[in-house]
Amino acid sequence: MNAIVGVEPENLDLLDDETFRSVVRRWIESAYPAELRNPPKRLHWEENRPWYFKLAEKGWLCPGWPREFGGLGLGPAKQIIFTEELERHGCARCNDHGIIMLGPLVIKYGTDAQKADFLPKILSGEHIWCQGYSEPNSGSDLASLRTSAVLDGDDYVVNGQKIWTTLAQDANWIFLLVRTDATAKKQEGISFLLVDMNTPGITVRPIINLEMHDEFCEVFFDNVRVPRANLVGQLNKGWDMAKALLSFERIYLGSPRQSAYALTRLKQLAERMGVWEDPTFAATYARHRCDLEDLKALYSRYVEVLKRGQPLGADVSQLKIIQSELFQRITETMLEVAGESAGLMEPMEGNRNLNPAGQYIQARPATIYGGTNEIQRNIISKNVLALP
Amino acid sequence: MSSAAGIAPFSEDHAESIRMVRDSAAGIADGAARARALRFTMPGFSAETWRQMGELGWIGLAVPEAAGGSGLGQAEMCALSEELGRALAPEPLINAALSAALLAEAGETAVLAKLLAGEAVVLTAWQDRANTLSPCIAADATRRFIAMGAGATHFLMPVGDGLQLVEASACEVTHEATHDGGHLTTLRAPAGIPVGQAALAPALDRAALATAAYLLGGMEAGFAMTLDYLQTRQQFGKIIGTFQALQHKAADTKMHIALTRAAVEQAAAALDAGVAGDEAAALVSRAKARASEAAMLVGQACVQLSGGIGYTDQYDVGLYLRKAMVLAPMFGGAALHRARFMALSPETEDA
Repeated sequence: MNAIVGVEPENLDLLDDETFRSVVRRWIESAYPAELRNPPKRLHWEENRPWYFKLAEKGWLCPGWPREFGGLGLGPAKQIIFTEELERHGCARCNDHGIIMLGPLVIKYGTDAQKADFLPKILSGEHIWCQGYSEPNSGSDLASLRTSAVLDGDDYVVNGQKIWTTLAQDANWIFLLVRTDATAKKQEGISFLLVDMNTPGITVRPIINLEMHDEFCEVFFDNVRVPRANLVGQLNKGWDMAKALLSFERIYLGSPRQSAYALTRLKQLAERMGVWEDPTFAATYARHRCDLEDLKALYSRYVEVLKRGQPLGADVSQLKIIQSELFQRITETMLEVAGESAGLMEPMEGNRNLNPAGQYIQARPATIYGGTNEIQRNIISKNVLALP
Repeated sequence: MSSAAGIAPFSEDHAESIRMVRDSAAGIADGAARARALRFTMPGFSAETWRQMGELGWIGLAVPEAAGGSGLGQAEMCALSEELGRALAPEPLINAALSAALLAEAGETAVLAKLLAGEAVVLTAWQDRANTLSPCIAADATRRFIAMGAGATHFLMPVGDGLQLVEASACEVTHEATHDGGHLTTLRAPAGIPVGQAALAPALDRAALATAAYLLGGMEAGFAMTLDYLQTRQQFGKIIGTFQALQHKAADTKMHIALTRAAVEQAAAALDAGVAGDEAAALVSRAKARASEAAMLVGQACVQLSGGIGYTDQYDVGLYLRKAMVLAPMFGGAALHRARFMALSPETEDA
């Protein structure tokens, strides 16, 4: 992998929001590889590394990190604008677990040595991270996880299995939640450990999903020795640390972008199939469109919370539910409109915009990942509505 | 609070005056008991409360100060309407506020002054048929669907390109009882007195938006009552709110309310920020479509979650559903407003 010397970023946080937005938009439009716009599937490292390095060279890889660690030091409002502009242009997600998850966690809880060691290697693309949280028997009930780390001399010995590990086959490092105290209450015996994927005893096995895509993997740990120095934060405090990072994720999962993109595709499909003027279709489309605009209105109220530097409440879960279920409904309408083409593996007529089955399949996991919608409804019931 | 949904899109000034409006509403709108007592009476609302509403400046809340009003915005009008909806207030404030706005714009002063003071009840009779957003301007039309028309002192009618006022005592009226305990009036009026001109469409839109806010308040109140029930009622030896099927239905109900609040407050903030024309109308249509549909869904869910008691007349939760049945179609129902939204709002998607 090429190592890039970080470029000192200009202080974009001093710009007003609208100027910042236009600066970001202009650069993305000029720098983003055209062939990677709106990719039908999550891209592998081999495909998206040119974009990763472009961001890195520009110094814009880690907009949320403080400037002293090589980030842009953007406040919440500008971070959201930055993400909105990436989404607007249809930019693929990078292999971004190091950028979004691990970096902020090391900055907050890591030792000086860990910061000096790991952060520059994310910026340079030398370390590509994946996230080892879920296990075969610990999905929605993540805190029940059983992959163990037992101290032996100066090493932890890790045994167990992770699953749904996004793009693990592209990563050379993994951050893990591991059980370090089997006797404590389940949330209180979990620690946060950084593991080199090249360590002996690690096996990665890709899983083919309904898209016929190997986005997720299983990762097996068989007596994997991990230096004690790779523990982040305090022993048995890993759960709280990981949880603190997740509230930001919940607003991104509620971003209207997925639904907006799908609705545009639905319109193109309806025009192609000759039903755009059909009154039954028009009524369904109007419903989707109103649902989308109302979601946008609701979303912007949560963006305002972040802009003011306030914490997002548990009620942000509703955004994720509303967004993902709208996304699904739009793609279900696509299948209805597509008729006999509803089951096609490849886009119709070779036109990537006419891909009803692909969009439909892609929408399925939206109600599962990031906490299933059933779990999100449990959260609303208990933490917002105060039901027992 | 159960309606938690981020931060409303209002400026600090509006947020402050909204708080004041809500506080003042709390004093007068004392819950469903007052509304219950007035059901199925004539004229179905309290003359005393109407005068108080005038004294508090509510009838002319959004009428310019120069015309004798309070000079506040649509955000405040929506907050007030929401509080009235919470209390199921039967007074025809939204229609009267529409009349006040039209009279003020037309330059009429005498009847307007009485209306703003709560001494007159002027209701706008703009409709001659169901399922329309287009005002009837024919001189000899039978005008319909005027809520609480039995209490009107005057009717205001668009005729030709102007407005006409008639005294209610000179009119032929019939009233049909509605499920919320009020009534809808059908009006045959003699030629009225011309009182000038005003733009009807934007004024009707403001009434539609206020109606959406009223429905929002009703949803909040009915849902709060339902949550209380879920937290106390026991079956199978457990509080029924511990059952996941009921929890998830409650969560869905909450989301309908959150989307309604987002749409209503977005539209109100936009109108106050000077957004006008098709863009404003599209925002209002989206908000009213959402509120009309959500009010029914929320009302139905609240009755269902309350079980058998929810189907009794003595239990208040049914009042909110029956109010929604009457108000959801007022100033345009969900399908009508969705269609208008699509006609007015060009797609801006650039993905």
